[in-house]
Amino acid sequence: MLDQAFDALKKLDYGADLKPLEAIDAAIVASQKDAALQKDLETRLLAVLKSDAPDDAKGYVCRKLMIVGTPASVAALDELLPQEKYSHMARYALERIPAKEAAAALRDSLTKVNGPLKIGVIASLGARRDADSVAALIAQLSDSDEQIVRAAATALGSIATVDAAKALAGVKPTGVAKSAVVDAQLACAEAILAAGNKAEALAIYKSFAGGDQPKHIKLAGTRGMLACAGKKD
Amino acid sequence: MGRKPLSQLGSTRRDFIKAGSAALATPYFVSSSIFAKDDKPAPSDRLVVAGIGLGNMGSGDQGGFLNRSDVQYVAVCDVRKGPREAAKGKVDKKYGNKDCKDYVDFREILARDDIDVVHIATPDHWHAIQVIEACRHGKDVYCQKPESRTIREGKLMVDTARRYARVVSGGSQRVLEDYKKQVEPAWAGELGPIKSINVNVGPLSTICNLPAEDLPPDIDWEMWLGPAPWAPYNSKRCSGGFNTKGNTWRSYVDYSGGGMTDWGAHHFGGATFAVDVRELQPEQVIFHNDKDGKWVEMKYANGIAVTHNRPKTGNMVIEGTPGEKREAKPVPTYKGGKNIYGDFIECVKTREKPFRDIELAVNTVILSHLATIAYRLERTLKWDSAKQEFTGDAEANRFLDTARREPWQI
Repeated sequence: MLDQAFDALKKLDYGADLKPLEAIDAAIVASQKDAALQKDLETRLLAVLKSDAPDDAKGYVCRKLMIVGTPASVAALDELLPQEKYSHMARYALERIPAKEAAAALRDSLTKVNGPLKIGVIASLGARRDADSVAALIAQLSDSDEQIVRAAATALGSIATVDAAKALAGVKPTGVAKSAVVDAQLACAEAILAAGNKAEALAIYKSFAGGDQPKHIKLAGTRGMLACAGKKD
Repeated sequence: MGRKPLSQLGSTRRDFIKAGSAALATPYFVSSSIFAKDDKPAPSDRLVVAGIGLGNMGSGDQGGFLNRSDVQYVAVCDVRKGPREAAKGKVDKKYGNKDCKDYVDFREILARDDIDVVHIATPDHWHAIQVIEACRHGKDVYCQKPESRTIREGKLMVDTARRYARVVSGGSQRVLEDYKKQVEPAWAGELGPIKSINVNVGPLSTICNLPAEDLPPDIDWEMWLGPAPWAPYNSKRCSGGFNTKGNTWRSYVDYSGGGMTDWGAHHFGGATFAVDVRELQPEQVIFHNDKDGKWVEMKYANGIAVTHNRPKTGNMVIEGTPGEKREAKPVPTYKGGKNIYGDFIECVKTREKPFRDIELAVNTVILSHLATIAYRLERTLKWDSAKQEFTGDAEANRFLDTARREPWQI
């Protein structure tokens, strides 16, 4: 059954019945307790990914590598990151594979991709909350493209370290990056306060509590200051 | 654009707010009866509302807001020309003018400072991005159910709403209105200590592999797909019908959790309300596979279980303690008006939490997500609600979210 499923997968294109592929899903469930089966599945999936199978088939492979992929899948997925039609599905797998190699591949690709693809990679690093990527993401805050700045700020807000907060405080965002940079700083303040560092958190909140900030941002700053003081608003 | 009268008087509603001594904690809604006519609030007193996603559910939501005298409805957004124009037409007809602005890109609505409230009824894969972005721009939000498509989305929606003290309501009116038969005796204490409640709902969502069709000119396909994997246009793929067996986006994993989340948002919402675990998340998801089939049991720290598809058990059946009674508690209800829209609008004015506060809504839909993951892996899971992750379970944690297509991000 599994052989037939992979034969069907190699030809998978939009409009084809997915029923013949159900054996792959069953094998994925079984592979949780069978390391050899997991390895076999991953090897078969990677063979399809590296073949001239239709794009739909490769997308399906990435969906399954999200579940069973290991460091052994990273190199093949990494090759797809700079390719416009595959980049997202490569991240679909890489973002969720719990291995430092997957994070490293995403991080290293920041020098190989631009525009929307770079935004996607930045978003995936943020979703992984990859602390090893903070420096690389901080570097993106000085990009001339405000969409890149926006993405990097959001990712740094997800990772929410003191270093991220300090870097964000030095940004003078424009256009679409503005709300993301503010939001990221507030997210950092929440994490920093939760970790017990009241002074650092208070400094961030204070910077938003006054001035000509929009009302909801002032409110966030003021509420944060109250939280630092151990008071509820 | 609406709301001209005040500016003609050389002032704006926001000037009134700015001048208000109560400052930060006050709602946007302020009283200025000097501008009112008859029994209707003056335009300056109305909440300024816009709609994002105006198909089947969005159209109904629009009616719920548009018909209120305390709302000034000013803008609509939909990536499909037909629903967009129909929605604008309703607003213009209501006000007898052509002032309602229509947009394809929701970000243009969120960038408008004059809009206080947005209601969102896009396909589920858009909800988190739009709710989070709306909160970042200071809007209060009414979002259709199921509010999140992944577990990570739900957490971030709640965090962002709380960060800016936004009033964010989920969208199931059925939670309060459809399950009184279960809710009332349970809250009256007539069932004694409650052990469990069962929900029968489904199916799970599947991968969509529909063939390409010719792309019609009246839809922005890239914006319809948004954060979902690229796929060719197919009319069933983007149909907003209510079927979850392949003829609508509700059937497919890239856009929805299938019937499990679609009706699950109602049934699990009613179930968690009836047995009063709305403010909690379960700590264990027990997968059963016995002679009667596969089913899931989600156990809370207080011992109550919400089960899914428990064999030989009807939908919304409560297992109490026969012969025992508990102290009665007053049943929570809407804070304003007689429906979920009135409740939300009242809370926007008072800054209270609405009946379907986003945190309670997320606590509902997470049951659908947790059960789905247990079914996909066919095993029992341990859930840490504080950390929002499965304990010591890297495989299950892969399912907490999916990567979004560039340039979309949460």
